Amino acid sequence: MDPTLAPPILDIAGSASAMEPTLAPPVLDIAGVGKTYVSTRTGESIEALRGVDLQVRRGEFLAVVGPSGCGKSTLLSLVAGFAAPTTGTVRFKGREVREPEPARGVMFQDYALFPWRTVLGNVEFGPFARGVDRTRRRERAGDLIRLVGLEGFEHRYPHELSGGMRQRCALARMLANEPELWLMDEPLAAVDLQTRMILQDELLRLWGDSAAGGGTGERPTVLFVTHGIDEAVLLADRIVVLGRRPGRLKAVVEVDLPRPRTDARTSPAFTRLVEHVWSLIRDEAVRAIAEETN
Amino acid sequence: MTGTDRLGPVAPAGLAAPPRRRLDRSRTAIARGIGRALAPLGGLVALVAVWHGVSATVGNATILPPPLAVAAALREMLVDELPQDVAASLVHLGAGYGLGALTGLVLALLAARFPLFEAVIDPLVEFLRPISAIAWIPIAILMFGVSQGVPIFLIFYASLFPIFVNTLDGIRRIDPRLVQAARMLGASRRLVVSHVVLPAALPAVMSGARLSLGVGWMAMVAGELVGAEAGLGWRILWHQEFFAMDKVMATIVAIGVLGYAADAALRLLQARLLSWAPDAGGGR
Amino acid sequence: MTWTLRIGLPSATLALLALVWEIGVRAGGAQGIAPYPSGVIAAGLRLIADGTALAALSGSLGRVLIGFGIGALIGVPLGLAIGTLPALDRAIRPITDSLRSIAPIAWIPMAILWLGVRGDAALFVVAYAAVFPFVVNAAQAARLVDRAHVNAARALGAGPGLVLRSVIVPSTLPLVLTGARIAMAFAWGSIIAAELAIGIKVAGHGRSVAGLGQLMVETLYVQRDVNALVFYMLVIGAVSFAIDAGLRHAQGVLLPWTRR
Repeated sequence: MDPTLAPPILDIAGSASAMEPTLAPPVLDIAGVGKTYVSTRTGESIEALRGVDLQVRRGEFLAVVGPSGCGKSTLLSLVAGFAAPTTGTVRFKGREVREPEPARGVMFQDYALFPWRTVLGNVEFGPFARGVDRTRRRERAGDLIRLVGLEGFEHRYPHELSGGMRQRCALARMLANEPELWLMDEPLAAVDLQTRMILQDELLRLWGDSAAGGGTGERPTVLFVTHGIDEAVLLADRIVVLGRRPGRLKAVVEVDLPRPRTDARTSPAFTRLVEHVWSLIRDEAVRAIAEETN
Repeated sequence: MTGTDRLGPVAPAGLAAPPRRRLDRSRTAIARGIGRALAPLGGLVALVAVWHGVSATVGNATILPPPLAVAAALREMLVDELPQDVAASLVHLGAGYGLGALTGLVLALLAARFPLFEAVIDPLVEFLRPISAIAWIPIAILMFGVSQGVPIFLIFYASLFPIFVNTLDGIRRIDPRLVQAARMLGASRRLVVSHVVLPAALPAVMSGARLSLGVGWMAMVAGELVGAEAGLGWRILWHQEFFAMDKVMATIVAIGVLGYAADAALRLLQARLLSWAPDAGGGR
Repeated sequence: MTWTLRIGLPSATLALLALVWEIGVRAGGAQGIAPYPSGVIAAGLRLIADGTALAALSGSLGRVLIGFGIGALIGVPLGLAIGTLPALDRAIRPITDSLRSIAPIAWIPMAILWLGVRGDAALFVVAYAAVFPFVVNAAQAARLVDRAHVNAARALGAGPGLVLRSVIVPSTLPLVLTGARIAMAFAWGSIIAAELAIGIKVAGHGRSVAGLGQLMVETLYVQRDVNALVFYMLVIGAVSFAIDAGLRHAQGVLLPWTRR
């Protein structure tokens, strides 16, 4: 794809992602973060992450990849505030993260929808929890349900939905609070391949669409954990590669593909990037599997 | 797609239950439809027919009263003593089960909230649980005399444990990500308890409530039979004193019907409350 | 929580309760009316020494085992058949559902009439109590047999006999064993109930101490020994705990793939 055909605004975003994060303060600052879990039953301790340093710029789409068991999900839950790091700090907009908050929305692996709430009930839970009155939150939830293409399914329960529909519902639930930071933990892992490709395109549309982005007219910042390398290349501005346990920062790969990327899957540059990232984690993945089977 | 993408098994969709399949039967749809409509009726008719046949062969209405005699006795009792027996039993059940289920539920909530309380209550429960309600009958008779106190106490004791154990287990098994999701969306801790913990534990609470009712029902009949002077269980022995075996059988039938109705009512409530749960509504 | 705490705290709690109880009864001077720990222990030692407890216990246990066995012999095949044949399920379900709702103990007068008071009546009640958990769980187990496992075995060359041995039995066994644990608990509760009812019926008509239940009735109405009653209760609890622990252990040994 010819970069000159891209709209100017996207060109600016693309060139910004190539710059060093020294100009503006990063919206998310992960400094020397390590996490060691201690099993309450056996007393055994497991080091999931060690010494991770990472700065994420406002509006950036950052993907995190690595072999299984490399602490990707741990990193995400530290940023979400579900757990505290053993060493180092996580700062969001300059303040240290201690608790989960609506500004940092999370989309869980397997969605974690409330099974006793309908689609509408799930989507409106965030505004409800923050005390938004009924008419306003219904209106907001209705808009979002339309946005993700679930109109007509408002009164269905999660178990009545397909995997892809649950995924859309989870996305709408996260968006209902207008989070500035989207934390997504393998959100597309549990749907089939075709659904995943469609949802990837829709996710890009939603992210690029300023209506969904924090109300400031800017794009939201995204931290996207995945084990799909091609998915990471397709979606992200930068790809963070973590090594196997204990998870350490192995490499950061700039993705300079022009946006919009809907047709990027077939381009030679895309394939080259996928192969490059794969070469970075192949050894780690093989060793991780060898360790598992020991 | 590169090779790394699918080295592990596909993550299961969070809430979808593992596939449960019946063994397929090859049959035509029509035959199946007719069979489906008639089979339950056929089963009951067969039961009554066998009962009638055996009774006729035995030829002694005392040893095995025929179904018609039992039906006649039941009709007679319906206008006579049965209403007051049923009322007495329902009073026992209502008081014992109501108290037992409520106590079990509250204790479980407290144990889930306060670890110290759990440390005290847990050994006590584990110590008492194997001692069935039945084993308490002599002591209950000593404590309350032969009175309605005996069945009420027994039902209370029997129904306490299943609901306690189930509720506590249900709260412990709550998917932590549901709590995380609510907190991330801005829910206060109180809102998390009322809108996440309670609904998430409800299936376990309801199945505990049904188990409790089942054992409570058994405890009721036993308690009335040996330790009270009212209720259906007591009436069985009362009729036996007069060798009115048709009425004994009629009372047994009444116990079966009422026990079934009580469970069906709870099952209905369960299905209503848990319409959102793919697997919990009305099973068994 | 460390292991010492996990064992120590419950023991301490129970010991403290026993102590408070003992002191309470002694302070109130209620030793004749209310049971108390040291009295229960003394009664227990006496009843074990003179063989009363053991004789009654073996009587009850013997009947439980026979009734449990009868329940399994009827319940497991019936349940498996119900679970495999939906038509049979529909025909039999109303029967099992209605019979299951009748408290086993309610049959005691009929059982006495049919089988007499010498223990066979109690046996009927026990078998009746034990059969339904077996039916329900075996039926559910048969329904849950994964067709894919059957197909996999057949694709690998297994004939019907091998499919039965290598797929059906191992897939149904976990639930059937769970059913066995429930059946055992029901059976043990019912034997005591039946023996109590029979004991009350024949009390004063000569001695017929055949099981723990009868012994409890006699202890209640003839000897009026509260401490002995509590001791019997503890025996009942200990037996049901031991039986369940044994079955759970058997589950782990027989079904290593379900161990957690």
